[in-house]
Amino acid sequence: MLIGIDVGGTYTDAVLTDGKDIIRKFKTKTLHEEIMTSILNALDKVIQGEYESQIKRVVISTTLVTNIIAEKKYPPVALILLPGPGLSLDCYRYDTFTQIISGAIDYRGREITSPDESEIISAGSSIIEAGYQHVAVIGKFSNRNNAHEHFVKQIIEKKFPKLNIYMGHNISGLLNYPRRIATTMLHAAASHLFSTFCDNVSESLKKRNISAPAFILKADGGTIPLTAAAKVPVETIFSGPAASTLGAMCLSPKGQTSVVADIGGTTTDLSLILSGKPLIASKGADVEGFLTHVRSFAVRSVPLGGDSTVTVNNGKIDLLPERRGPAYCLGGPEPTPTDALKYLGRIEFGDMSRAVEAMENLASVTNSTPRETAQKIVFQSCQTIVNAIEQMFKNWEQEPAYRIWEIMQKNIIRPDNIVGVGGAAGGLIPDIAKMLNCNSIVPEHAEVANALGSAAAQPTLTVTLRIDTEQGSYTVLEDGSGGPVNKSTQFTKEDAVRLARDCLLDRAGELNMKEYLTNVEVVHCEMFNMVRGWTTTGKIFDVSIQTPQEILFYMDQGESFNE
Amino acid sequence: MNKSNQTGLIFFPAFDWAISPTHPEREERLLYTRDQIFEEGLMDLPEIKEYKPRLADFRDIARTHFCVPHIKDQVLEAHLIAAGSSLVIADALMAGEIKNGFALVRPPGHHAMKVVHGNRGFCNINNEAIMVDYLRSKYGLRKIAIIDTDVHHGDGTQDIYYHDPNVLFISFHQDGRTLFPGSGFTNETGGPTAFGRTLNIPLPPGTTDEGIHYILDNLILPVLKEFNPELIINSAGQDNHYTDPLANMNFSAQGYARLNEKLKPDIAVLEGGYAIETALPYINTGIILAMAGMDYSNVREPDYDQRMFTLSPDRKAKIEEMVSELLSVWERRDSIDLEVLRAKSEFSQRQKTIYYDTDGIMEHQTEKLKLCPECGGYLSISSQAVHHGLQCKVLCLSVPFHGCHTCKEAAWEKYEMAVNRKTYDYVYFQDRVSDTYKGFSSEKNTAWEE
Repeated sequence: MLIGIDVGGTYTDAVLTDGKDIIRKFKTKTLHEEIMTSILNALDKVIQGEYESQIKRVVISTTLVTNIIAEKKYPPVALILLPGPGLSLDCYRYDTFTQIISGAIDYRGREITSPDESEIISAGSSIIEAGYQHVAVIGKFSNRNNAHEHFVKQIIEKKFPKLNIYMGHNISGLLNYPRRIATTMLHAAASHLFSTFCDNVSESLKKRNISAPAFILKADGGTIPLTAAAKVPVETIFSGPAASTLGAMCLSPKGQTSVVADIGGTTTDLSLILSGKPLIASKGADVEGFLTHVRSFAVRSVPLGGDSTVTVNNGKIDLLPERRGPAYCLGGPEPTPTDALKYLGRIEFGDMSRAVEAMENLASVTNSTPRETAQKIVFQSCQTIVNAIEQMFKNWEQEPAYRIWEIMQKNIIRPDNIVGVGGAAGGLIPDIAKMLNCNSIVPEHAEVANALGSAAAQPTLTVTLRIDTEQGSYTVLEDGSGGPVNKSTQFTKEDAVRLARDCLLDRAGELNMKEYLTNVEVVHCEMFNMVRGWTTTGKIFDVSIQTPQEILFYMDQGESFNE
Repeated sequence: MNKSNQTGLIFFPAFDWAISPTHPEREERLLYTRDQIFEEGLMDLPEIKEYKPRLADFRDIARTHFCVPHIKDQVLEAHLIAAGSSLVIADALMAGEIKNGFALVRPPGHHAMKVVHGNRGFCNINNEAIMVDYLRSKYGLRKIAIIDTDVHHGDGTQDIYYHDPNVLFISFHQDGRTLFPGSGFTNETGGPTAFGRTLNIPLPPGTTDEGIHYILDNLILPVLKEFNPELIINSAGQDNHYTDPLANMNFSAQGYARLNEKLKPDIAVLEGGYAIETALPYINTGIILAMAGMDYSNVREPDYDQRMFTLSPDRKAKIEEMVSELLSVWERRDSIDLEVLRAKSEFSQRQKTIYYDTDGIMEHQTEKLKLCPECGGYLSISSQAVHHGLQCKVLCLSVPFHGCHTCKEAAWEKYEMAVNRKTYDYVYFQDRVSDTYKGFSSEKNTAWEE
């Protein structure tokens, strides 16, 4: 038995499943201020005191960190930055106490200038004076050499033991200094609160005699053990769209290319599954205006939902990108696409007489019949979503590429299916499918797709290595760890992959994920010969390996059809 | 046009292509540049818009070059992508999506001439020229200036536009007596119909920031102002840098950034530059920031010392002398009386010998320009070279962008005559007026069109 729980902004849903059928499902409004209560309530509703001992695992997707950041409920974090030469220092202005100190590293991790102890001490004391407890220290190219960050940490810790220090290279080793700064700052901000949350969940599961391992869902659709999640709080952001994509994936045919449309009240969230793999955004997530290094699904949000307001503009139907309340047929103030669907008999809920009234009112000012008006609204809604889908595919095709093979192999792909979840999905998806010339899938259990997606999610782990045999060192980009390698030009791609595997094992151990490491795949392995004065002096490797991105189960419903 | 405030950028390092494993033009060349510009987060700046490369069409190449025997024999995917990337930037600029753009691509192109028998100076096809001709063909632009800031003479670009009065080509470079390709002297000033539209400034080895900015301020910028082009292209080599292993100049990243700030190119295309660690990461960051109108004052090489960049008095005197000589060429640019020349001959003719250093090919060319008072005249190039031990003789006919009917007819007649008589192994016809590009093989007795 598997349990999936998704605490979204509006709804919390939960499922209990054996991987073939849904044994129990539950959906309720989220208690915004009491996320713990929402989780436990949902958990109790699906277990009902029956299945504790059979539960194999529990996966939770939560907006907790999103809320902490969006509502600025976190403790303030001061920054110590070592940018060195490059972009103007004016570019490093943040809305928090920031100290820029000397010290610079180059792209290969060689020191350009060393940090100055007295500057560090004076930065520390001004941070104390300003009343901060948390400090993030981030250096440009600290992903290539973290000595300066460690040096700053050591000095600050010795002089100012009350300060909590977070180092940039531990948070992300990807290139992009401003994103590393933002991600480290958010990590420092959310760390404490999220850690408390994880402890509370553990405690509550124990009280319910659930001994199965528990996981938190991440933005990239992978899960991380509860016991390690506190190390990566920011990665749990935006797990909602990941959950709904995985849910739709598990309710549609395996291995195909699908668009997932989560049609909500105000917006429609679109994501892509390309040949069975959810599309990951090429750049890290934008978290409340902070560009970060957080890996997440590529999600496009369209400001159109079942409750969008419909008005008439110069005698023409116009869909506004805003919600003024529920649909008219559900007692709301304005006509909406939901009313049009109700009028056309495509949805079951709602008051037909109010839907008729809404369409008649619009028809009277557009010089058409109520039916034509309703059809027009549905058509325009579908058109808006189809345009966004086309744009999404185009954006994917237009993502920058840095290698010849990437440019040569990227074909134009169009979807096999469109999978709709959310209230108005049943009414709109078949029309959208026709416009896209693909299959329409509006699966059963779509209302708990998020919980199902959480239940189906698997642990994922990636390590990316930069190996420099001329320098005789390597670094793991994910956590900034590293070590020496032989200064040999005989180092091969096979050696590089072997080293990456060892690092993946180490990292799995650290995150309590070793048992999930059954097989790994090489994402890429690039080798650069370093030539200085016509002789090869070393090699640089960029290697990335990961656990395969798969879900635990598919519930093929055999319900897809093409009208 | 140019409503946008963004700088377009294509970064195409071709991480999977090299001329050979230890050649300067190898996978590693833009690796550290990638590291630097990505770590700086330049792609995230609101001032920068990143584009994806595309492949250039064979037609785009045939519009500029005569590839012998066929385009596919001279051009690899990497070349098509480097040329195509320049076209993406050109389109974005013309669509008003960007205010200027930088194609940070490899392989380079400025040594590729009109006729291509092989690779010269790491170049097979000329990225800037293909872009300029594309802009003229697709958007009807007329006057374009190309400023070649590579340390090597842009002899390919010069060859392509030598008789084109609508393209101003200025190249400053290390003196050809001390560096490949050994050309680019002050007396190379354009053909009879385009006199003064080619200007060359051979700089003494060791010329510094001060020297290059002297020619920029006193020659290039004033000439540009008078020429008043619709677009300025920077053929942006980076090997004037003080650490470049293949040349001996003394230019810095700051110097390059300031040059782009003053020159304000609409489009820059990367050319050479082989100090892949000590120069390229810093120069490219500097150029991108300067083109985006951002503060680049904090960009500097680890060993940068401002005192290294003042100019010695003897070099300064030499440069000042050249600048005044070239200014007087520019002043006299309209002094050639075509009728006087025409009275002697209908054609202007020159012989050229071209060496392809990478491929070891020697080419002999006779170039004949019809002295047409109306359109500048068609070109007829007969060229001979040895490919893989076999002698190959070709005739190339080229009608200019604004070619007149008479020239077009005359060129076509010559093409047909050569096809019928089979005196050449290959015959090519390039008509930019109707955008038609034809070829013929005598051995196979087949004709084709790109």
